[in-house]
Amino acid sequence: MSTLNVSNIQRFSTGDGPGIRTTVFLKGCNLRCPWCHNPENISSAPEELFFAKAGKKEVYGKLMSPADLAEDLLEDADFYIRSGGGVTVSGGEPMLQYLGVYELAKLLAARSVPVIIDTAGCVPWSSFEKVLEVVNDYYFDVKAGTPGKYSELIGGDLALIESNLRKLVMAGANVTARIPFIPGVNDSDEELKRIGEIIGSAGVKHADLLPFHRLGVAKYEAMGLDYKYKDTLPPSRETLLRAAEIIGRYTETGIE
Amino acid sequence: MDTVKKLRQEMETRPGGMFFPNLYRCQGYKTSSGTANVEKRSDGVAAVFLLSEPHIYKNDLILGSMKDCFVEVSEEELAAANETMALFPERSFITNYDHFAPDYSTPITLGISGMIKKIERSMDIHRDSASSVALLKGMKRTLEALLGRLKKYAEKARSLIGRGDYDDEKLAFAAENCEALLLGAPKTFAQGLQLVWMIHNCFVCEGRYAMALGRIDQYLYPLYRQDVDAGNLTDSFCEELLANAFLKICECRFRGGDDVVNICIGGVDGDGNNAVNGLSYCVLHAVRDVNLPGPNLSARITKDCPDEFLDECLKVIGTGLGYPALMNDEVNVAALLRKGYDLKDVRNYCMVGCIENFIPGMQPPWSDGRFDPINYLESLLRDTRAEALDAIGSMNDFMELYEERLAKGAADYMECVKKASFVKDPENSMSPFLSCFCDFCIERGLDVNMGGTKYPSAHGAALMGIGTVSDSLAAIQRVVFDDKCVKLSELAEALKHNFQGYEDLRSVLLAVPKYGNNDDYADKYAVWYTSTLSDMFDGYRTNDGGPVYTIMASNISNIPAGAALGATPDGRLAGKPLSDAASPTYGCDTRGVTSTLLSTSKPDYTRCACGTVVNQKFSPSVFKDGKREKLAALIRVYFSRGGQEIQINSTSRKVLEDARIHPENYQSLVVRVSGFSALYVTLSDEVQEDILSRTQHEDV
Repeated sequence: MSTLNVSNIQRFSTGDGPGIRTTVFLKGCNLRCPWCHNPENISSAPEELFFAKAGKKEVYGKLMSPADLAEDLLEDADFYIRSGGGVTVSGGEPMLQYLGVYELAKLLAARSVPVIIDTAGCVPWSSFEKVLEVVNDYYFDVKAGTPGKYSELIGGDLALIESNLRKLVMAGANVTARIPFIPGVNDSDEELKRIGEIIGSAGVKHADLLPFHRLGVAKYEAMGLDYKYKDTLPPSRETLLRAAEIIGRYTETGIE
Repeated sequence: MDTVKKLRQEMETRPGGMFFPNLYRCQGYKTSSGTANVEKRSDGVAAVFLLSEPHIYKNDLILGSMKDCFVEVSEEELAAANETMALFPERSFITNYDHFAPDYSTPITLGISGMIKKIERSMDIHRDSASSVALLKGMKRTLEALLGRLKKYAEKARSLIGRGDYDDEKLAFAAENCEALLLGAPKTFAQGLQLVWMIHNCFVCEGRYAMALGRIDQYLYPLYRQDVDAGNLTDSFCEELLANAFLKICECRFRGGDDVVNICIGGVDGDGNNAVNGLSYCVLHAVRDVNLPGPNLSARITKDCPDEFLDECLKVIGTGLGYPALMNDEVNVAALLRKGYDLKDVRNYCMVGCIENFIPGMQPPWSDGRFDPINYLESLLRDTRAEALDAIGSMNDFMELYEERLAKGAADYMECVKKASFVKDPENSMSPFLSCFCDFCIERGLDVNMGGTKYPSAHGAALMGIGTVSDSLAAIQRVVFDDKCVKLSELAEALKHNFQGYEDLRSVLLAVPKYGNNDDYADKYAVWYTSTLSDMFDGYRTNDGGPVYTIMASNISNIPAGAALGATPDGRLAGKPLSDAASPTYGCDTRGVTSTLLSTSKPDYTRCACGTVVNQKFSPSVFKDGKREKLAALIRVYFSRGGQEIQINSTSRKVLEDARIHPENYQSLVVRVSGFSALYVTLSDEVQEDILSRTQHEDV
């Protein structure tokens, strides 16, 4: 039996899919997005963060068996079922723990609780192949449009990501592309155009544009790290609408 | 809606003088030709209605203002009035004076003149009983004075027409409505509302608080339906009329505080069918537009009430108002049935005050008192000798001792209540006007507090601190009996020292599972608390043989109650607030709202006939279109599992700003952003400001 490295379990998550959901954040990531809003989920090692302002200590990173985790999550089964919700597995990169995720999703499916996987997609296709047996819904990040940006800034392999995205769609999965809109990273017309082309040619039906926010700054402080984006302001509504419009030119995908 | 805004502005001007209806009342006492106390009393009440000068706001559509009873009084007048008043003592909250939901159906159906006829018939039937005749004469006198007040208002409105600074159309509309009521039963919705409002305002002018309007969407529905069907009333005008009346509830602020006038919408009809109707929505919108504390809106949510109704309630809550409080109808009905009321009457329940369940016009005014179970736990640990404490062998034995203390405490409490609520000479403190609006005072010729009502008086024992008690018991079980890491006497010693020098023990206590996390280790004590205490109070009766209900709705009195209490075994320091109402201790329900509600639906609330309050706070994003249905599903599941009530202290800037000032109360407030997890209190000022400004924009 595999174990899952759980960072946090957030109940009544309203931003991570339909209905009432519990989002499970798994610890450990293979990308290094400099704007990351969950820095506590990058390393696989357990971490203790001290939030000086709140005088609050939080520990992240607890190994749990899929069965124990499923039992915890199923406490809310009534809420999921009544609302058409379920469990969202996020991170970190949850697909790095695909075996545990597979087992977890199987246990949840047995109780009619569906799972959404929130992934950046930079893992071997074989991992998706396994998980596809029990999970049909994916939030798939497209963080940049050019291979250079991906490899240099984020540490990811765009070719692999693009190929996984295509294969998931072809396999019949319900895929929503999620585009974090980050000032200075993917807000140029060229990047947006390429992002539009990637999601369009993959055949993704639906995409969400997620505006940058700096809510993660407290976590950087609590980890004793400098946050490069601490003074970056969230984009205006006009900027977002314009970005959505540019992406929209290159794809049939509905963008929100 | 323009009128509502303008009326609100007009109401910003405080009247001169002081609220002193007794000035008029005393004149009534003096000039009374009556012999019986109740006759004099009726003349006093009539004088308040008839001698006061009607106040009409320029934007009034529905007339009746408490400004009428603001008067300039000299020291001598005040002293003289108080001297006279001493001869006619009034009842108080504990002796069933106010906190009452009148029967408004009868005046709507019969009109005041019809009620007077009914009184006359009863006088004839009871002609051999001098006391009944005196009371009925007095009741009739007050109703005639009510008509007199309507007439004075109509005349005043007419006299203002053509003056130029008032809106003549509004004046004519209001005057016509009042005049129509002099002739008989109301024939339009506006007349019906005018009648109800004038009666309510008369109670206010008598000096009563917390007089509920009750199920206004039911008793005014026939007139609403008739006018809407005939094309004579639009929903927007209906809302404007309602808001015009409700806004004047806030006149109470002129006296220096808010009134709590409960208004109840939704629920079921006498046959148990869904009773939500078009008027329910109008009432909801009117309360939203008034947007001030005073009108205290409650929504009875049934299993099969339309989703649209719950959604509309959530929209209003999401404006930041915090109303309506959402009541689980199935639980309340079951709880009241256990108290022996007839099913049809139970289905017609509403609330008085904050949330107290009440059968309108069928029982004497409400009373309640505070019972603090945590005090008995604290004293058990404080005044039992160390050897005796350490001789307690198991948690069960400990619980037995605690239950003994509670039983003794409940007995003391009831003795106290019965003494305090006993009225020596009830015939000298009758309420002739109030008795007109309660079954079967007219038929029986008896006062509301002397056997006139269908049901006897109910009293509520307001239980304080379910979270603090449950957490404390769980902590004792863990450290003393399960883990055996300290002796009970050591724990008691630590409490006496407010944990000074016992910091390590305190961290252990704080780490024990707390109520509100769907963990039976602590939750089982909340279940025990509810049933055990309800059992205890079930064994008592009020002075007139009525039931004693349990309540868990502490308002804010958990703060003073905590201030007077030493440290408790849950790790709470001396002087800190107790847990609030039926909620878990603030900040201790850390697993999220679904877990909280799974816990707070465990106790059997059909034992708490008076009602309970579970407070929950949500960040603004949850009230947006597309998200509210999640909140609705949360409530539906919570209610299907037996939760009794949820009060959503919502949203917007207000909550978030308060969270900045009192972070200790918002330890589990989650910021909900896609793929992100953070607790609000951990965010820097700057980032909290981001969220605040975002919220503000969205509110505009």
